[in-house]
Amino acid sequence: MMFSRRELLRSVSAGFGYLAFAGLSTMQMRRVLGDDQYPATDDASSPRNPLAPKASHFPAKAKHVIFLCMQGGPSHIDTFDYKPKLEADQGKTGRANGAKLMASPWKFHQRGQSGLWMSEVFPELGKHADQMCLIRSMHCDQPIHPRAMTQMHTGNAQFVRPSLGAWTLYGLGTENENLPGFVALNPQAAAAQNYGNAFLPAIYQGTKVGRPQGPRPAMARNLPANNSGSVPDISNPRLNRKSQRSQIDFIQQLNQNKLAVDQVDPNVEGVIESYELAFRMQDALPKLMDLGNESEKTLAMYGINENPTDGFGRQCLMARKFIEAGVRFVELNHGNWDHHQRLRDQLPDKCSEIDKPIAGLLADLQQRGLLDQTLVIWGGEFGRTPDAQNGDGRDHNNKGYTTWMAGGGVRGGVSYGATDDHGREAVEDKCHIHDWHATILHLLGLDHQRLTYRYAGRDFRLTDVYGNVVDRICT
Amino acid sequence: MHKSSLFAQVQAFVRISLAAGFASLCFGGPVATAQEPQGSDLLAISESSPESKLTPEQLDFFESKIRPVLIENCYRCHATSEQSVRGGLSVENRDALRAGGESGAAIVPGDLQNSILWHAINYRDYRMPPRGKLPANVIADFKTWIEMGAPDPRSNAGLVVKSKVTPEDIEAGKSFWAFTQPKKVEPMVEKFQAWGKTQIDRFVASKWEDQGIEPSQDCDPNILVRRLTFDLVGLPPTPEQRSTFLQDWKSSPEEAIERLADELLASKQYGERWGRHWLDVARYAETSGKESDVTFPNAWRYRDYVIDSFQKDKPYDQFLMEQIAGDLLPVSDDEQWNEHLIATGFLAVGPKSLAEQNPRQFQADLIDEQIDTTTRVVLGLSVGCARCHDHKFDPIPQSDYYAIAGIFQSTQTFYGGTRSIRNRQPSDWIRLPVQDPEASKPIMSPEDLAELKKELQERQQELAEARRAQRTGANTPGLNANLLDQIVSQLRARISSVDAAGRPVSVCMGVQDHESARNARVLVRGEIDQPAQEVDRGFVQVLGNLPKQLPANRSGRLELAKWLVSHENPLTARVMVNRIWQHLIGQGIVREPDNFGVSGPGPTHRELLDHLAVDFVEQGWSVKQMIRSIVTSRVYRLSTAYDPGRLESDPANLWIARGNVKRLNAEAIRDAMLTVSGSINLGPPKSSIFASMGSAFMGPNGPQNIPLLLAPGGNNDDRAANIRRLLGGNLRNPAVSLLEVPNYHRSVYLPIGRNNLPRALDVFDFADPNSVTGTREVSNTADQALYMMNNPFVLELSDAFARRVMQSTKDPQGRVDRAFQIAYGRSASIEEMTASLKFVRKAKESQDQVPADEALFKAWSQFCQALMAAAEFRILN
Repeated sequence: MMFSRRELLRSVSAGFGYLAFAGLSTMQMRRVLGDDQYPATDDASSPRNPLAPKASHFPAKAKHVIFLCMQGGPSHIDTFDYKPKLEADQGKTGRANGAKLMASPWKFHQRGQSGLWMSEVFPELGKHADQMCLIRSMHCDQPIHPRAMTQMHTGNAQFVRPSLGAWTLYGLGTENENLPGFVALNPQAAAAQNYGNAFLPAIYQGTKVGRPQGPRPAMARNLPANNSGSVPDISNPRLNRKSQRSQIDFIQQLNQNKLAVDQVDPNVEGVIESYELAFRMQDALPKLMDLGNESEKTLAMYGINENPTDGFGRQCLMARKFIEAGVRFVELNHGNWDHHQRLRDQLPDKCSEIDKPIAGLLADLQQRGLLDQTLVIWGGEFGRTPDAQNGDGRDHNNKGYTTWMAGGGVRGGVSYGATDDHGREAVEDKCHIHDWHATILHLLGLDHQRLTYRYAGRDFRLTDVYGNVVDRICT
Repeated sequence: MHKSSLFAQVQAFVRISLAAGFASLCFGGPVATAQEPQGSDLLAISESSPESKLTPEQLDFFESKIRPVLIENCYRCHATSEQSVRGGLSVENRDALRAGGESGAAIVPGDLQNSILWHAINYRDYRMPPRGKLPANVIADFKTWIEMGAPDPRSNAGLVVKSKVTPEDIEAGKSFWAFTQPKKVEPMVEKFQAWGKTQIDRFVASKWEDQGIEPSQDCDPNILVRRLTFDLVGLPPTPEQRSTFLQDWKSSPEEAIERLADELLASKQYGERWGRHWLDVARYAETSGKESDVTFPNAWRYRDYVIDSFQKDKPYDQFLMEQIAGDLLPVSDDEQWNEHLIATGFLAVGPKSLAEQNPRQFQADLIDEQIDTTTRVVLGLSVGCARCHDHKFDPIPQSDYYAIAGIFQSTQTFYGGTRSIRNRQPSDWIRLPVQDPEASKPIMSPEDLAELKKELQERQQELAEARRAQRTGANTPGLNANLLDQIVSQLRARISSVDAAGRPVSVCMGVQDHESARNARVLVRGEIDQPAQEVDRGFVQVLGNLPKQLPANRSGRLELAKWLVSHENPLTARVMVNRIWQHLIGQGIVREPDNFGVSGPGPTHRELLDHLAVDFVEQGWSVKQMIRSIVTSRVYRLSTAYDPGRLESDPANLWIARGNVKRLNAEAIRDAMLTVSGSINLGPPKSSIFASMGSAFMGPNGPQNIPLLLAPGGNNDDRAANIRRLLGGNLRNPAVSLLEVPNYHRSVYLPIGRNNLPRALDVFDFADPNSVTGTREVSNTADQALYMMNNPFVLELSDAFARRVMQSTKDPQGRVDRAFQIAYGRSASIEEMTASLKFVRKAKESQDQVPADEALFKAWSQFCQALMAAAEFRILN
């Protein structure tokens, strides 16, 4: 009976861990197989290490993702979806029972050479209009926050499914073996499933960094320059680096002894590997999260050390550092966009917290030559109604809203799709959240129909049985 | 007091408050006569339905006078196609109007007085539409319309979803191996006839003959004793167990195994280990998960029930009957009644989207979760796949799903909670016939209770004020509607946790039958607003042995339970023996234990599986007996030792010619650390940390809620201590912080929050409590290494382990040896001894400015930690 090396590796490790693959050395395999007729292939698609970079289905436009996640449902009508007709119909009766249409209190201007219409609430970001692609015809199935947020992350609000980041990591692996491949910065509290692996192997789940410490997670600005305490067990409270290395050497000695007795044991090798990775990560992660070595100029670009941009600026800079270091997928969170009332006061506050940091991020990525290979995505779980609510607020609207993308493989300076005259509902080139997912995977070189995982007797995918790639926004 | 916070009053089984409303709102009022499937594949709109025939005048009246009013005034808040379905009421089609919402039928044709919509538009009880009463002539039109029978063309009447699965398909499907009766046959074995003494050995050996392979040696008794104790009780062997076993082994290996197995099976720790296996498939957790993550402060009763049941070796058929229909079984006394009610928690502890606004959607999802869990756990079939369409692989038509759905929709599920914006779907609990001993003493004085009620009233007023202000945009400093909403909800929970005399009320989660049973209607693509034909309640046809008709006045759950455990059911016994086999041998005979369907991998040893299944039933469904049969086989003793030839001829070990190396599960790793460090508390805790929280949200609450979170309720011995810990500690989220209070009980008793798994478990591949987990994954991650290297609890246990080792002797060599004995059950090799002594010396010397005693202790602690961190500690050969 003949087995290919790949089959043998797969079956030998049945029931074992994933890093265990990496441990079964070529030499041992030769011993197992008796000769070298199965040359060790080190191609990226071999199942050695489940986190090793994997070949995409077709050439990728982007290699990394930075997902700027806005919680609460930012109003599209006041930011990226210009509606002159709404201005004209200001005060008229809106939908049904007497609600009045409310025009955006802010002026829209054409920005960049492309002349993309954007609201004055994003003065800095507007300077990057020529790099941005506005998708103005978004819609999803869920009108309430948590479920819509979950659908945005996993495609499915009803069942617990792997998140976009976990699918990406599963599909592509990661490039820095010293760091996690999927990082969630300032994650939403009590929303584990939005960063979860669900039925995918645990190794693909998001590593949470900077879990909010206060009662208002969205407001948390609690990542000091040298903060590292927010990754669980990332440092030893007792031992310095040298002493801990010596302890790990001793542990590895015990492991090697066991391996010598067992001869071949992928699980022991997996354990050995896990300690080495952990030890490297312990060094790399806090270093990466330390913004102390960044120049004043860079810090200023992101609005760090100034109000009100410091909090999100730090997240954005950290995201750039993670991407630069080879992390595959970074998600950032910013909250309190749920403006049921006092939109006039509150929306500008929120916008000014992110405007400069995101502009700084785009500029920084560009000057470092990273923008071409990084897909930057901005969006909330839904948008808001053109009708006024509670005075000058707006209600949830999942029937039509805007998200945008920039960077790797995305056409800049364009908008795609449209809502109706008032911005109530997507009507032209509608882009469902499934289509959005399909497009993101496409830009990463993954076919959303082929990126499947077999679980409970069925092949699952991020887009379930839906999703169409929006080709027109891709270069 | 709010209705939903009342406890169900069990005088004669529960039935209160929402029950009636639920029944009518969820499952359609009068439904159209089901049409015979005919013609095209999927949908057929029948023309023959009497109700679909409206006269032109009726149609005209509806279209000109009624429909525009509904669209203009009601759709915004009461239409599935729009933003929301408030109060569960949709006015979008005829069925939905007649089904009504939380309060009952909106329209009863011809009956003004029972049509809630009529009262609402007249501003009685409800005031609809809220922005202003309709003009008198419009109200008059509605009167006319309802009195003429509320003719409404917007109907699904006559809609029939036709299945592609024909009766012939189902008949043919019955020949699939899993759907036939298990039968005993004799194993065909020659060469290895005498290799083992049991039938199990002969069945396994016969495959070796087929494959032309040889088995490995038996494993060393020193390894076997560890295998046995971890497999049976999840703990390392005690020194006494080890020495007795090794002594017995010399005279008779078989007797040594039998003796130790019997001792282990009789211990309390057995129930904890095997109960936890069941909790994996029962997706047990103590919070609702999903977005709101509301606590289930009484889930622990179900956990304890499961542990006790395994401990007592309750026959598996009875165990299943109790969990699915315990409330309907005859009982001989109140204790048994208690037990049976708690057992039905199986159907109630699943994950729930409590933020869902539409009660009909919520109910449909709840039922789906119950169907999916029950069928996968018991039958190894994913009947849940047939919710939206016929099953893709197995001959299970969509109508089979709705036949079972009819049973569960005629059942009420109780999981507790109080209403708030985060929990829009609270339910009652079931009051237990036997109250906990401490329930006799009041924990709240009448004055306190009155005070709380007064506070509730005040806060409710403030909340109303804050909500009004929100609507008008007025500025109301100090009144935060969201916070008040949480406070009100907590106050309700607190008040309802005691009776009028201030005594704590003992309640459980579980299910009860509705007052009447209703068949379900097939939902087109599973969408709640697309009901098609009604189907009789029933079971999975392809498994056969169906009852003729289910009782009209009961849900049919009892019949379902009986059918599941009937001797004719081909799957129930097979699925369970496969689970048992998997836990002991390291892989199932069917390798996907929750998938016995056509898409599954099928059995490697079908005759063996059938043999075990038949035995299982013949031996009175005794799990202990089955475990005993397997561990006393010679197959169980096979060595895991590496052999190139054996590995190459059967890399996946399909034919079990060698033992499988196992990684200890998360609980066993933690319990072993507690054991070797001498820190373990083998006594079970009284309840759970979650019980001490009462009804709470696990989301980011903020410190304002601390006193409220610690509402009396459940069993809470050390509430005061918890408060002290909290106030002294990190206040970021009081509920989450509570979970981090050190706990030395066995891991099965750790608090399981769906969004807050204990790190010790989460990091080592704990079962995801959001779904049925028949097989845990096994991974090696950097996170595990970080946990073992740096986690404060691990460091604490390392200290304790070191103290134990240092107290045993002063001699360094003796200490090393002692530590190896404790951790691995063997002596250190010469190389290990040298390396260990060198490490301890170095670790001591590397500490500057530390007193020698302390430096030495820390060095030994590091050494002990290393032993626990190394691979051997967590690998079972």
